[in-house]
Amino acid sequence: MKLQRDLSSAARREFLGKLGLAAGCAGTVAAGVGALGAVQEAEAKTDGGASFPTPDYDWTKHRWGYGVDATKCIGCLRCVEACKKENHVAGDAHHFRTWVERYVYLEGEDKPRIDSQQDPVNIAASGSEKEYRFANRYKDAKVEKAFFVPKLCNHCTHPACVQVCPTGATYKTKDGVVLIDHTYCIGCQYCVQACPYGARFFNDVEHVTDKCTWCYHRITKGLQPACVEICPVGARVFGDLNDKQSPISLFIRNNRVQVLKPETGNAPNVYYVGIDKEVN
Amino acid sequence: MPRHIARLIALIVVFGALALLAKWYFTVDSFYEYGHYRANSVPEIAAQAPVFQTPRYCQPCHAERVALWSANSHKTVICEVCHGPAQGHPANGKLPIPTDTKKLCTLCHEAMPGRPRAQPQIDVARHAGDQQCIACHNPHAPKIVAAAAQVAGDAAAGKKRAGACAGCHGAQGVSASDTWPNLAGQNAAYLAKILGAYKSGDQKDMVMTPMAQGLGDADVQNLAAHFAGLSCAAARNESSAADVAAGKALAKNCAACHGETGVATNPAWPKLAGQKAGYLANALKAFRAGLRRDPTMAGVSRGLSDADIANLAAYFSAQSCAPAPGGRAP
Amino acid sequence: MDPLHVATFTGYVYPNETVIPWSVLIVVYPYLTGLVAGAFTVSSLYQVFGMQRFKPVAHFALLTSLCFMLFVPVPLLLHLGHPERAFNSTITPHLTSAMAIFGYAAGFYLCLLVLETWFAFRPHIVRESQRKGPLRWFFRALTLGSDDLSENAMRYDRKWIFALAVIGIPAAHGLHGYVGFVFGSLKSREWWSSDLMPVVFLFSAIISGVALLIVLYVASCKLRKIEIDLPCLKGMAYTLWGFAMLTLVLEGLEFANIVYKGREGIDTIMEYVTGRLVIPFFVIQFAVGAVIPILALSFMIWRGTTGRALVAGVTASACLVLMSVFMMRWNVVIGGQEIAKTGKGLLDYHLLIFHREGLVAALSVVAAPFVLLLLMTRLFPPWVIEAETLTHA
Repeated sequence: MKLQRDLSSAARREFLGKLGLAAGCAGTVAAGVGALGAVQEAEAKTDGGASFPTPDYDWTKHRWGYGVDATKCIGCLRCVEACKKENHVAGDAHHFRTWVERYVYLEGEDKPRIDSQQDPVNIAASGSEKEYRFANRYKDAKVEKAFFVPKLCNHCTHPACVQVCPTGATYKTKDGVVLIDHTYCIGCQYCVQACPYGARFFNDVEHVTDKCTWCYHRITKGLQPACVEICPVGARVFGDLNDKQSPISLFIRNNRVQVLKPETGNAPNVYYVGIDKEVN
Repeated sequence: MPRHIARLIALIVVFGALALLAKWYFTVDSFYEYGHYRANSVPEIAAQAPVFQTPRYCQPCHAERVALWSANSHKTVICEVCHGPAQGHPANGKLPIPTDTKKLCTLCHEAMPGRPRAQPQIDVARHAGDQQCIACHNPHAPKIVAAAAQVAGDAAAGKKRAGACAGCHGAQGVSASDTWPNLAGQNAAYLAKILGAYKSGDQKDMVMTPMAQGLGDADVQNLAAHFAGLSCAAARNESSAADVAAGKALAKNCAACHGETGVATNPAWPKLAGQKAGYLANALKAFRAGLRRDPTMAGVSRGLSDADIANLAAYFSAQSCAPAPGGRAP
Repeated sequence: MDPLHVATFTGYVYPNETVIPWSVLIVVYPYLTGLVAGAFTVSSLYQVFGMQRFKPVAHFALLTSLCFMLFVPVPLLLHLGHPERAFNSTITPHLTSAMAIFGYAAGFYLCLLVLETWFAFRPHIVRESQRKGPLRWFFRALTLGSDDLSENAMRYDRKWIFALAVIGIPAAHGLHGYVGFVFGSLKSREWWSSDLMPVVFLFSAIISGVALLIVLYVASCKLRKIEIDLPCLKGMAYTLWGFAMLTLVLEGLEFANIVYKGREGIDTIMEYVTGRLVIPFFVIQFAVGAVIPILALSFMIWRGTTGRALVAGVTASACLVLMSVFMMRWNVVIGGQEIAKTGKGLLDYHLLIFHREGLVAALSVVAAPFVLLLLMTRLFPPWVIEAETLTHA
């Protein structure tokens, strides 16, 4: 097996070709060996002999995970803006691959007041739907407890969205990311309905469903997702669960983490620290 | 079997065969290769170009800035947070240098319920009013740490020169008048700086300017060392009519530089504790009016009313000038 | 982004939820499917169970079923972001997806309906193909080159019709139960996530189809100026009455389950139900659309009403049921989406007028099967067959 992996695919073809040539002397035997060679090569491809999906990145060697430390989040919304730019998401108040929620418990109230950057008051504070800012609306109120919670696609182990997709346009990769094939999606939005977390939306430009990919184009190049990269306070953590020393492995090991809506059975892969019962 | 039945069955068979053929023909390449999806879509998605480039990309050309930035407290805030994504830069032109820093910086630093305690936060109106943050702060090294000049004066030599000061500031550096500042126990670096400013003309005062101009550089150092070495314990102020409690609330905005009780943590900045209230009020009013020039003080004094100033002055003058326990000695 | 497209909200909703994914077209889609299943039920009551009183509408029911079935995919196609890719779900059907399986189920059922209609109308087709006229070649193609109407051939046809109807019953009802499953199987919405949903959809489908047939039958008799066959109408009224009660019980049970279990988010659901949903849900769907028809039908059955009063009463009840079932679809599809997945907020769906997924489009899709049916009754008059089979028998 090791030998096989060491051989580049070109070298392997050459080797098999020579084998075929040698056997060619035996006439009909050659055809058989050639066919065998072809079969072997096809097998080698799916066995992970060649690196997939890119020459420098083998998805069988990673298993990605994401952590959110809500005790650190300052609600600056730089992640939301960075995500929109990184992934060319429509710059309005209704399409987000990631967003931040604010929970504020006022004195004498049982339920928290919840808003996100989408709230009209916050849009008024930023001055534009394309810019993001939390209005300081509770500045003069008696606040008992308040915190921010970043949200994004949970890249569930049992994704309800993948289950309901009629075509196979959305799927779970070997490294644990739920992706959408924008050239294959028919735009029925069944997955938008199925996601309990509201992580999916309809892309009005491409007429397909869209959502967070954990910046698959970045993580396969050794970079961090844009939101993690941009977060000034380290509230967002990302890494390889296979690597026991990765930031996410340490985050999970060193904290008592929880996931959102565990009762759905979706088994999310975004782990939270510092949220409370009203967060779902 | 009647002919139409036979033909119908044949038609159904043909239809079924066509359907299977269509399925085979129209199934796109690489579908089913790894699962129920188009395997080729994975490398297609992975091939997308990153928009944000990380500081490693900026470093080769902007080494100096990156070095300054990475050595200071904003080191977790990468270049592209403020300057925008670097994709296509420099080929497609310059990246923006934010001008409305009051809008940008407050995204993180505006005091807001929900922000963790560890996050440095300001009450925008009180901290600097409408002033832009970059008036005082360098975004690449945002903490204001005025370089404290090393004072290497001879206190004994200073004492000889101090006779001229005693008339107003008292022989022991404790002023007799409410409008003249105490000098005893003041930070030497600050004393040297302010005296230097009178001497150079950066700061003007009818009395101080001519006196300072008569001093040599060594005299400035010696005098600073002398007054800094005196005990401020003798400085006692009568309680004022102003509202000390209100002043204490306001004083939170001064704490970063002048210490919570007015005992500055950095020798470059003056101690305020136990200082004469009248002097403090006059100084603040001078900053507010632009008569004394200091970018930081101009910003923070702008939003203060006369009553605020009186309260602040009362608060600081009522504090003990001894270093706060556990605090850094000046 | 068109601001009209965006739903306003109260409370807290996930930011992406403000674009309501499924529009009025997805209300029309289960409505049409339900009408198909219901109409087919009446046809099979005659074809399979031999209920002779339904003979006057049996072929008409079949034709109605076919016409509506042909338009079932239209609202879906109009709704898709990429209608040209619609066949992706049949080329590579994802077997865990209710919608992919629906494609196959609907396709199978459509073929079955076409076959059954073909057999039922074959004598007519053969006769038309032999007559001179502009449509001769159309009918000649439909004969598949055989004009065999011998007793032997007809025996074969009857066997096929019976077999197709037998398969058709589970297919039609399975199909519609499946539409309920599309909603009921989603765990993301408390308003949908119910085991009863497929059954509720199925029974409401049956009553809507029967009601549609009543209205169409009465209208067609008036148009043709012939007398209404009262036993037939009565039979349909009984069917409607029985199934309407079942439907009401099931719908009531489903709602009671949500309220009684009172899981997370029930506060918001109750706020919605007792607020904005009072008129469309309690008043229109339940009171006016279900209770009143049931009471009216019960009264007529009890008093043995007949003649013009019966026709008027039954037709009026049928119209109310048609409205009620439409409101039920609306309350499920739109209602479910107006209750935010956060369980902490409500959205307000804005029905657009002139839009690919607007009111005009939806009304056109609903009207189209009626137009097609009008054309089809000209090409394949179901009444002639009725008369003919009567003489045959």
